[in-house]
Amino acid sequence: MHYTFEIERGNFTDAGQASSSVKRTLKHLGVAPANIKRTVVALFEAEINAIAHAYGGTIDVDIDDEKIVMVVADTGPGIPNLDLAMQEGWSTASPEVREMGYGAGMGLPNIKKNTDDLKIESTVGVGTTVTMTVFFA
Amino acid sequence: MAAQETFFGHSLKVDKTRCLGCTTCMRSCPTGAIRIRGGKAVMNDNKCVDCGNCMKVCPHKAIYIQQDDFALIHNYEYRVCLVPTTFIGQFEEKFKTREIYACLKKLGFTHIYEVEHEVEYIVELYNKYIAKHPEIRTFISPYCPAVIRLIQVRFPSLVDNIIKVRAPFELAAHIMTNRLMDEGAKREDIGVFYVTPCAAKIAAVKYPVSNKETRINGVINMDFLFNKVQLMLRGSNNNAEAINHSLTSRDILWPLPGGEASLFNGSHYAVDGLQNVLNFLERLEDEAVDAQGLVEMRICDQGCVGGVLATNNRFVARKRLEDRAHLLDKPDRPLNRYTRYNNPDFCKWIDEQMEIDEITPHSIYKLDDNFAEAIKMAERMKKIEKALPGVNCSACGAPSCAALAEDIVRGDADISSCMFINRHTQASEDAIRDIWGDRIKTRTITNDNNE
Ligand SMILES: Nc1ncnc2c1ncn2[C@@H]1O[C@H](COP(=O)(O)OP(=O)(O)O)[C@@H](O)[C@H]1O
Ligand code: SF4
Ligand code: SF4
Ligand SMILES: [Mg+2]
Repeated sequence: MHYTFEIERGNFTDAGQASSSVKRTLKHLGVAPANIKRTVVALFEAEINAIAHAYGGTIDVDIDDEKIVMVVADTGPGIPNLDLAMQEGWSTASPEVREMGYGAGMGLPNIKKNTDDLKIESTVGVGTTVTMTVFFA
Repeated sequence: MAAQETFFGHSLKVDKTRCLGCTTCMRSCPTGAIRIRGGKAVMNDNKCVDCGNCMKVCPHKAIYIQQDDFALIHNYEYRVCLVPTTFIGQFEEKFKTREIYACLKKLGFTHIYEVEHEVEYIVELYNKYIAKHPEIRTFISPYCPAVIRLIQVRFPSLVDNIIKVRAPFELAAHIMTNRLMDEGAKREDIGVFYVTPCAAKIAAVKYPVSNKETRINGVINMDFLFNKVQLMLRGSNNNAEAINHSLTSRDILWPLPGGEASLFNGSHYAVDGLQNVLNFLERLEDEAVDAQGLVEMRICDQGCVGGVLATNNRFVARKRLEDRAHLLDKPDRPLNRYTRYNNPDFCKWIDEQMEIDEITPHSIYKLDDNFAEAIKMAERMKKIEKALPGVNCSACGAPSCAALAEDIVRGDADISSCMFINRHTQASEDAIRDIWGDRIKTRTITNDNNE
């Protein structure tokens, strides 16, 4: 099954709607709680990044009987140095973003930790696409 | 509704003669346990968590809590009344606890036992449990039975975070029966009755999560007993002591928010009120809060003085308990004040009695055991939800359009019950009649009747 969500630039208030909707569906499907947790944590972080560091975008979610694939695609500045971005604690978050309680530099490392597969494609000046997969078994 | 295995039982009932099917309760239920059928509210036993919210919001007083016949107490030679301090908080301060207890004795009880007398040992049990489980970071208090059930049905991933210790009234009941038996009473001659502020505690006695033996023989609704005692107090100045009358100020405050947390030395949180509890559990589940230590949780706003059977305003009752606590100058008392607790054999035995063996998850969400089938159903549900108007009018007898969509895929409802979808067909007329009963005026359906 397939879902699409829009992400609005700078809208932290509505952040988490995609992950709570996905959470509800996975509960309906009877997915193991640990896997639901991993999925929700990863999706939420990717959503926040698209809100905080980019200019919004879309989330595409595909669920079949063995996995969930989440694609978070934004238009934005892109990530110039991915290795650096993946480091724990590295953050370029603006003071406003930090004031919202984000910007600890743990988002991408957490996504890595909670997913079974992670692909990040980023072009500076164009945007970033984060593809995350969680297997249910 | 489709037949299913029943996991829970409840004392909350709908009085069909009073219920108008106004949908107020249905819309306020945290687990979507209520539907309107035949013009009346109907509860799903597996979804209801006994939070009492429906009863609190019902404008027609149509939801009530069934209670044991009071005359039952006379089946026993020793009639013990287990009184929680919430009960005392219902009374004006000018009435001494001794006068209140005298009334209870007049009503037929032979012994009065204050439940909170045992809470310090309950916290000891929490500490022991926490020490045994270094792998767990967040420990949720097992005190409010509605919270336990809410976790079982809505947050199954958190069942292992609940401390597996039974409620203080159970400890008090064990201590009291043992004491009477030491004095020569026969087990079967002892009747222990707990005065409850809520439906959740009744369910905890009658349909316990743990399959261990309960020593509670009956439950008495607090509002019922309050009315009786209040009337007697007006015309009397009798005195009677509780058998264990030595509560500390902190014992008295136990049922209030922070009551458990204040006896606990480690890192702790205190959450009260249905909406707050839901939000906190939701965030815990997503790991969006990192709560290390003990999380005290009470479904009722202001804790148990906000219980649905507590007659008086919860803020007034809270103030009264705080005032009574201040009157006691000794907040502390040496732990293990009973010689009983100095006996390791006794502690070993009572620790075993107080243990909950298992808390099983019972998710209300899962659509089907078969994953492929569940996906199909979820997809259909999404389509139906899109087709529905999204106004959540509840005229279909479900709390929201999303809930109706779920009912439809589960086979518990039909899309023709949505008035927006299917306004002018016989099927819709029949469906509306099923939901709303005779209240709906008959009208003739013709094909050109689409004004
Ligand atoms: N979608 C994105 N677009 C542009 N930059 C990003 C994006 N996601 C992450 N980054 C960059 O990677 C850094 C690290 O991201 P993350 O680990 O989530 O930490 P944080 O969001 O707390 O800064 C960010 O500070 C930002 O520089
Ligand atoms: S007691 Fe609570 S959970 Fe049960 S039907 Fe009423 S509102 Fe719903
Ligand atoms: S907070 Fe207290 S009164 Fe309210 S449901 Fe829980 S145990 Fe019962
Ligand atoms: Mg981030």
